[in-house]
Order: sequence, then structure tokens, then C-alpha cells
Amino acid sequence: MPLPPIYLDHAATTPVRPEVLEAMLPYFATKFGNASSTHRWGREARAATDTARERIGACLGANADEICLTSGGTEADNLAVLGGWRIQQGNGRPGLVTTPIEHKAVLMSAHQVAREGGDERLLDIDPTGQVNLDSARRLIRDDVAVTSVMWVNNETGVIQPIEELVALAKGAGAVFHTDAVQAFGKVEIDARKLPFDLCSVSGHKFGAPKSIGAVYVRRGTPLAPLFFGGTQDRGRRPGTENVPMAVALATAMELTLKEKDAECARLRALRDRLEAALRSRVPDAVVHGRGAPRAPHMLSLSVPGTDSESMLMALDLQGVACSSGSACQSGSVTPSHVLSAMGVSSELGSAVVRMSVGKLTTDEHIDRVIALFPALIEKARALAGRF
Amino acid sequence: MSGGVDSSVAAALLVRQGYDVVGITMKLFEDGSDLPDRPCCSLDSTSDARRVAELLGIPHYVLNMVDHFSRDVIAEFVAEYARGRTPIPCVRCNTFTKFSDLVAKADGIDAQYVATGHYARAIDGDLHRGLDENKDQTYFLWGINRAVVKRLLLPVGGMTKPETRALARELALPRVADKAESQEICFVPDGDYVQILRRELGDEAPALSSGKIVTMKGRVVGQHEGFARYTIGQRRGLPGGWGEPMYVVALRPETREVVVGPREALLGSRVAASGVNWLVEAPPRVGDEVQVRIRHRASLASAVVDAVGEGTAAFSLVSPVSAITPGQSVVIYEGTRVLGGGFID
Repeated sequence: MPLPPIYLDHAATTPVRPEVLEAMLPYFATKFGNASSTHRWGREARAATDTARERIGACLGANADEICLTSGGTEADNLAVLGGWRIQQGNGRPGLVTTPIEHKAVLMSAHQVAREGGDERLLDIDPTGQVNLDSARRLIRDDVAVTSVMWVNNETGVIQPIEELVALAKGAGAVFHTDAVQAFGKVEIDARKLPFDLCSVSGHKFGAPKSIGAVYVRRGTPLAPLFFGGTQDRGRRPGTENVPMAVALATAMELTLKEKDAECARLRALRDRLEAALRSRVPDAVVHGRGAPRAPHMLSLSVPGTDSESMLMALDLQGVACSSGSACQSGSVTPSHVLSAMGVSSELGSAVVRMSVGKLTTDEHIDRVIALFPALIEKARALAGRF
Repeated sequence: MSGGVDSSVAAALLVRQGYDVVGITMKLFEDGSDLPDRPCCSLDSTSDARRVAELLGIPHYVLNMVDHFSRDVIAEFVAEYARGRTPIPCVRCNTFTKFSDLVAKADGIDAQYVATGHYARAIDGDLHRGLDENKDQTYFLWGINRAVVKRLLLPVGGMTKPETRALARELALPRVADKAESQEICFVPDGDYVQILRRELGDEAPALSSGKIVTMKGRVVGQHEGFARYTIGQRRGLPGGWGEPMYVVALRPETREVVVGPREALLGSRVAASGVNWLVEAPPRVGDEVQVRIRHRASLASAVVDAVGEGTAAFSLVSPVSAITPGQSVVIYEGTRVLGGGFID
């Protein structure tokens, strides 16, 4: 009997939590109403989405009217970057500042801004994986419409200096957006404590289903919609509200925050133990972002003389699910734009394995991976000469 | 698993026979991955392979071999045309990519065997022609490492193509049963290899520059736009007005001349080969009688071994054959068994 497989890819997605599933189910069935209808079914659905917005807002230190529900992180990022930049067109602010380590949802939106005539500027990244603040001081000027910097990087787990960046953006009169898709539940996100204007989250990273996300939109922040239709969500996001998903997102966010401190401590201990053991058994393993503050759930490492693709395949066949952090649509691993922006050599970049612990991870899982990994590395290195 | 019918059925047969199967699709080049109808390496064919693997309940991975394929196969393909030869990239893909790089990947996951959808048979460590003589692919397989033959599983090699298609339908393999045959070179869009040469060599390269078309006696009879556009035996692209059909009989890269002559000038009975690889412990010796194939789908020809050297061999054909083309393969058989092969000089 083979041992049950180990899921070490919580940064990719997480299972829906039973409490979340239970909370959302009635809104598929008996409480199926359209939140825009005036009758009792409509009122019931409206009450559920209103409550969900309030609950989601409370989890971000925000008001209900500041929560815009989206189909997920990608739409949230597109709406923030494109919607935030487009509405300021012609205000003498052609600038869009972001980083080369963003998720593709932000990066491709920034490229679209450039195609629409915007001035796309990318901040420098230090070898630790953090944004270089000198380059931020240089590039975030008063001709910038939107500055968008992710809170936690999705490949390395490195936490970005959001407080300083928000201050720089606000000082230049620019709107500040942060992609907090990997950050929610791992770092404190409170709109009352930090004056960011826009903040994206994605439910499936913390126990809600895929295809639900939100953008926090600070009151008074201008935003051009991406879609055209009804007046749902104050016209920011037309389309019939997805009531069960709104309920799911609210429930997952509340559960996550309630457990945040204890769970983060648990994950950090698991991750740190894994990291220490792998580094001691494979002394030349390079942990990306090790010199910077990192979210507790992620470990990104490269072992010279191996390649991601072969490692991931071998790990998977041994029952360990990891990632390289980026995959192309055909399933083949492509070189990481994040690591190359950090100045990591292409040899090390093509050897990266990302392990992300989470809800499903146990001490026993970590023990098994520690026992397994060095042998796989040895084999990969022995074969590398032949390839 | 290319997403085509042969490798899909091969995988299905192995699963049916009880093997623990891992499906691999090799990503070999970047161009055209958005073109829907390419034989392999497009997103569509990769997802067809994935669908088959899903149906069979086996894991499926896409391995990025773009760098090595470009170095070992495409670069040499281009270089051969530049030398006035007619390359056969499938041989190098099998030799370097499938049965070397992919085997290394297979070793990385402790795979005991390597299986493909080739029409050939591996029997007791020897390579034999596929049962379907129309589909036999040993012409492309002579260059592989002999040790790998022992680990080869070629499940469709004992079947005919119609049987393979019928089995694909019977197994209800999604989309693959009626896929068109892929005859063209996978990385050459629309069969237009000149496009690849222009990209890699540039329009000013000698192989793509104009030159003279001459008769065997040296009379200039026309101009061409690059000798790399021609191959031995070709009629297309030659000036007309002759009493009999004229063919390309030689390419002279050093003077950029394309030499034309009548059909009988194509006949030859001497084949010299380099880059020779033997798939048997005891290669044939001088004076031995063997059978050779000098072009894919050409009939087998009886020959006598004239010379065997370090990586070289030469043969005399019992009856002359047409269009012995430098860069193509000569594959040597004894019965259905492949003894070895080489590149024609």
C-alpha cells in the first residue's frame, strides 16, 4: 500500500473548507434568488450579498461599499490596474509603476496599459527578492496614475515593503494597488492602518472555491469598469451577483483570520523545519528570498545541477506535489520571470522547486519529504551529466 | 505521447497489458504552438495527449526539450542544407532527443522501459521492421543507442495502421482515432523548410543565393534562387524545353551550382555512409550480402558490403537505384532485423 500523497502546493490552490461549502450550499438551492430582484427571493439573496460584503470588508478593515466582488484574483488585478489607470487618462498622469516580479495578472495588465499609451515603469528588484526602494523613489513621481506592487510574491514568498511604497505613492498623489492574493491570512492587511487604495484577494488560496475574489476600493478611489452592463456593485462590476460565492469568500476570510496567528506559527515551524533539514542535507541548495522577510508558508529552492521539470515529475511520482511557481499553458515549465528579475542565474532558475505548506500539511508530511528529497537530488545530479 | 493515434494507442495497450505507465509529451519547439493543426507540439496536440492520459488514468507530463532539440536536430537540419545535402531530421530526433534525452528523463523516474508509437519491433534486444511494411519506421531509428533497444516497448509495431486506428476507436480515445497522418517535418510549418533556412541562415546565405543550373557537361541552362531549394531527383523548379524530363542529379555548394541530367543519370550503385551506427554485436563484414534502404518508403535493395570502418561503411548495390541522396540514410537489414545505418555521403 503506497503512502497517501502529500500536497505541498497550497500557494497554487487549497481545498474548499467544509464550513465554507456548508455556508454556500443553500444559495445554490432554496435561496437561489437574484440579488437585484425586489421580491422575497431577491431580498434574501440581497441580504446575503450585503452581509457578505460587510464581512469581507471587516476582514480587510474596510466598509461594505469598498468591497468589489470579482471572478477571482486575475479580474481583481485587471480591474485595479487597468481600471485605475484608464480613468485617470488625460489627467497628466500617464505613468503606471509596477514590478517585474508581479503575477502575470498584474504584469499583463501593465503591458496592456503600455499598449494603450501609458508609461509602464518597472521597479528594480534586489537579489533578496524585495523591491528596491531607491528605484521606487526615482520612478514614483507625480505623473504616475497607479503604482501596483504585490504584498507577498507568489514564487518566493518574499514580503514587499508595502508601507514604504504606499507612502511614496501617496506622496506622489498616485493610487496604490497591492495584489494581496498570496498575502491574505499570512500578513496583516488592514485598510485602516495602511492607506493603500486598492487591494486584490482570491478566495481559493484560503479555502473558498476557485473563481471568487475581491478588490478593496478605498472610498473616493476612481475606477473605470472592465465590463459594461447593469448597476451591480455600483457599476464597478456589472453582472448578476454570485451569491453563493460571495458567502463562501466571506466565510473563508473570517475563518482564516480567526486562525491566522496560530496557523501562521504552525506553518512557519513546518516550513522552517523543512528548510533547515533540506539545507543541511543538500548544503548547496539555494533558498530564494532567504535574506528577506518571507510569508510563513513558502519555500522556494534550487539545487545546482538539477532541473525543475525532472524534479517535479519525480516528486509527483513519489507522491509529493510541488510546483516551479510558474507553468505555461501546455504544462511545460518555463523559466521564472521572478527569479530572473532577482538576478538568479538561468541555471539555478531552471532548477527551482516551490513547496508551499498549508491546511493539509502535517509534521509527518515534512518528515517524509525530508527523507525523500536528498535521494531524488542525488539521482537528478547523476543524470544531469547525460542530459 | 504526441497526441497522435500511434502513441496514444501504444500507451493504451501498455496500460491494458498491466504496465505502470507515465505519459510524456515532449515540447520540441516554440514556433506555431498556437497553430491548431500542427502534427505535434502545438497546444492542441498536447491537450489531446493529456486527454488520452486522463482517459487511461495515467500521469502525464510535458517536458520542455526545446533547447536540446534546437541544438541537436534543427541546427543540423539547417547545416546540412547549407552543405548541399538533404537532411533527415527524424533520425537525429530519435538518436538524440527521444532515445537519449528522453531516456535520461525516464531514468530519473526509475522507468524500466521506454515506449513509443513507432512502427518497429524490439525483439530480444534487436530492432526489427514493423509488421506493417507500409508504415515501417526503422528507416528513422537506426541511430539509437544499442543498449536502449533492450528497454524499448513498441506496442503498435506488431500492428497495421488500420488496426491501430480501429483500436483507437474501440478504446474511444478522444479525437485521435481519425487524425490526419503526419508526414511533414514537425517543426517545418506547411512543409516550407526554406522558411526555416531563411530564418536561421539569413537571405544572403550562399545556400539561398542565386546560382547557375548546369548540365552534367557544364552547360549553363538557367538560374536558381538557392541550391538549398533543391534535392537529388527533383524536377520542380527546373527550366523546361528538353526532349526528355530533366532531374537534379547533383548539388555543388562550393560553386552554388545545381546540376541537371536525364533520368538515367540518377542511377547509382555505390553507397558510402558516415556516422554509421550498428545495432548488432557483430556488424557485417566486407563481402557479406545485406539488404539496404536508401530512402524512406523506397524498396529494399540487395547489396554487398564493400568496406566497414570506424563509423563508416560502403556498399555496392546489386542493381542500380535512383537518387542516392547525400544526407539521407542508408539502413542495413538482414531479413526484418536492422543491422545498422548511416548517413549517405
